[in-house]
Amino acid sequence: MSIHSLMFGWEYPPLHLGGLGVACHGLVQGLLKNGVRVTLVLPHPHSAEEEHDVLAPTSAQMKSVQIPSIMGPYDTHRQYLHKITTISKEMQQVYGSDLPEAVAHFTAMSAEITKDVHADIVHCHDWMTYGAGIEAAKQHQKPLVAHIHATELDRTHFHPNQWIYEMERSGLAAAHRIIAVSNYTKGILTEHYGIPAEKIRVVHNGSSEEHLQPDHAITASVRHQRHPMVLFLGRMTIQKGPVQFLEMATKVHAVRPDVQFVMAGEGDMMNEVIDRACKMGLGNCMVFTGKVSSKEAKKLYQQAECFVMPSLSEPFGLVALEAIAHDTPVIVSRQSGVSEVMAHGFTVDFWDTDKMADCVLTILREKSLAMQLKIEAPRSLRNLRWEQQAGHVRSIYLDLITA
Amino acid sequence: MKHSTPSICLYFQVHQPYRLRDLRYSDIGQPDMQYFDEEKNRNIFQKVAEKCYLPTNALMQELVERYPHFSIAYSLSGVFLEQCEEYGPEVLESFQKLARTGKVEFLAETYYHSLSSLKSIEEFAQQVTAHVRRIHELFGQQPRIFRNTELIYSNELAHIARLMGFHGILAEGADHLLKNLNPNDPFVPPAFTLPLSVRNKIRKERPYPKAARSIDVLLKNYRLSDDVAFRFSDKKWIGYPLHADTFTDWLMQSGGRSVNLFMDYETFGEHQWADTGIFNFLRALPELWQERGIRAVTPSHAIREARGWKKQTYDAHAHVSWADTERDLSAWQENLIQKSALDELFKLEGAVRTANDPELMRRWRMLQTSDHFYYMCTKYWSDGDVHKYFSPYDSPYEAFRRFSHALCDLRQRIPQSQSQS
Repeated sequence: MSIHSLMFGWEYPPLHLGGLGVACHGLVQGLLKNGVRVTLVLPHPHSAEEEHDVLAPTSAQMKSVQIPSIMGPYDTHRQYLHKITTISKEMQQVYGSDLPEAVAHFTAMSAEITKDVHADIVHCHDWMTYGAGIEAAKQHQKPLVAHIHATELDRTHFHPNQWIYEMERSGLAAAHRIIAVSNYTKGILTEHYGIPAEKIRVVHNGSSEEHLQPDHAITASVRHQRHPMVLFLGRMTIQKGPVQFLEMATKVHAVRPDVQFVMAGEGDMMNEVIDRACKMGLGNCMVFTGKVSSKEAKKLYQQAECFVMPSLSEPFGLVALEAIAHDTPVIVSRQSGVSEVMAHGFTVDFWDTDKMADCVLTILREKSLAMQLKIEAPRSLRNLRWEQQAGHVRSIYLDLITA
Repeated sequence: MKHSTPSICLYFQVHQPYRLRDLRYSDIGQPDMQYFDEEKNRNIFQKVAEKCYLPTNALMQELVERYPHFSIAYSLSGVFLEQCEEYGPEVLESFQKLARTGKVEFLAETYYHSLSSLKSIEEFAQQVTAHVRRIHELFGQQPRIFRNTELIYSNELAHIARLMGFHGILAEGADHLLKNLNPNDPFVPPAFTLPLSVRNKIRKERPYPKAARSIDVLLKNYRLSDDVAFRFSDKKWIGYPLHADTFTDWLMQSGGRSVNLFMDYETFGEHQWADTGIFNFLRALPELWQERGIRAVTPSHAIREARGWKKQTYDAHAHVSWADTERDLSAWQENLIQKSALDELFKLEGAVRTANDPELMRRWRMLQTSDHFYYMCTKYWSDGDVHKYFSPYDSPYEAFRRFSHALCDLRQRIPQSQSQS
């Protein structure tokens, strides 16, 4: 049966700041391979160049509809002012300070812009698109799938912006089916959003990274020329646990002063984190790179002896899979979705920075352990291909359509 | 003597490892550093004692006393016996009570339930000797049948056991070695001579003054053993629910001289919970067997009976064991961390011996218990396998992390002059 999905996304490569864009891209590509037709609606503005990138040559079936210029300069509507100021700094940084208006605009235009699309199902990603999804589903009389990549509770460490939280709740309530990116996220939805478990299906994200089969000799030489390096890569925001990384680093540094730490990424906590690092006496062993390109990230993964993802609450955590794809041993927070699918690595509670440091020290000391993680972990990526994960999404579509 | 029906030979393995504590880098080199999780080990022992050891021993006591032709055998690891003394003297007493019936045989094994047979003849022989002594002290028996850790076996090991003075040895009846032979028949290892250096080492450390002239191999009938140990409560299994009379029919149909049913003792009440009916099943067997003229004999008895019979050769060039479907060493020695952990541990042997410090020696030996390496197995790690079920740790990597800290600590305890030698 051929299925046509009308999909509302927010970020999409190359215009993306977090995992959402990467995951959407992987899912769309995977759905196409499963014979699902996708019409993707994005709020991205302007540039023809970017538009071309979104309409990748391999996406012949994919029709991308872009809603123009809503992220443009914001004209002062008073009713939005209050909302903006209470939106977390992180959200503003990620999605622009005119977020509520952009969302309202996107929602208002969604019905109009998709009125000639005859899809079998409506699928929307995270709260920014839920309004648009609800409108479209109503208009076309089709089932609605709400995909959740991150909740407001993850982003704010359980101090949500009430307006966003309500947007999420109403979108999730309106959906016929919810796709959560992990059992961890499913747990948050049932516990904190009051969603019945039977309404939720878990589809873990796929790995966009092909295992690179890197030249071990080169990687090894890059790794060994320097002091051993331990890597953090992610936005410098409360969700990602940069402070926990510092605490871990202090403990490692006390035993192994030769170890260097790299924190890649930027965010609203950047200054605070740098300040703290200096006060903790990590000035000489801690490097802050700011935002890195994917090429730079790749190099960092290759140089790192291990990658640490100490997130306080991570619905999935695609960076861990990226690190694994570069043969870097990983230590991830137990409060993450990726820990459910990552068999070969360490999983530690985010608050247990003592144990986190201990895992780092063990990987640095034990060559056989590091080598085994490098060999074994990438194998688990084979079971996480997007084509396969999108197949699960297709089954969910089918269930709803034939119900 | 007529042998139209095979006899049954029951042997139960009784072992509990000492599980490692959540050791940290900063613990290494602390003077009073303890490797093991006292609380967890005590809790597990007491839980298993309550569910398995005490009720099963009571039932066995009743059965061996009531049925004249019902005998059984145990192998109790040294570390299990120590835990009995520490955590449950009443468990030890109930085994001693069983010993006094004269119908229970105790087998020899390595004291630390170790993998020493793979690494050091000298260490292996010392551990077996220590175990034989302990069994004699506690149960008044001189074990003459040897069973190696997890039924790890090879031709060489059979001859090593023979030179140590054992008349019999237990092994897994692996299909690829049996070809089409019946595991219920008596077997011997192929004849060959061990190198002089090996013989000398054994002569120095063996538990008995003289080598045995020959050694018999009793092979585990793994199909029938596993019907009870693994499949008894499996509702998807075609044999479910298994009744004592059906099972007895199967035993008799399997032919040969002696059906060797070898399994973990924890099968009763722990792996198969009481509510599966496992105890009723066990209770029903001896009565049925008595009615049908079937005897349950000890391994020594089975070997005595086989005297003068023609025996087939069980030829195990490579190691076999009773673990996993592979029935080889891969449960303990497959991946890099398992190999490096055991290699690094045995690299310390010379220095530990030279140091001549009983406390150091004990720490070294306590790390040899096979379970430490089993917990590091990643064979089917992603699929959630049996290793995961049995592991007290989060993951194989956590098992290695703890072990590697203990090993580092041990290394630091070795006096400098020796560690460099």
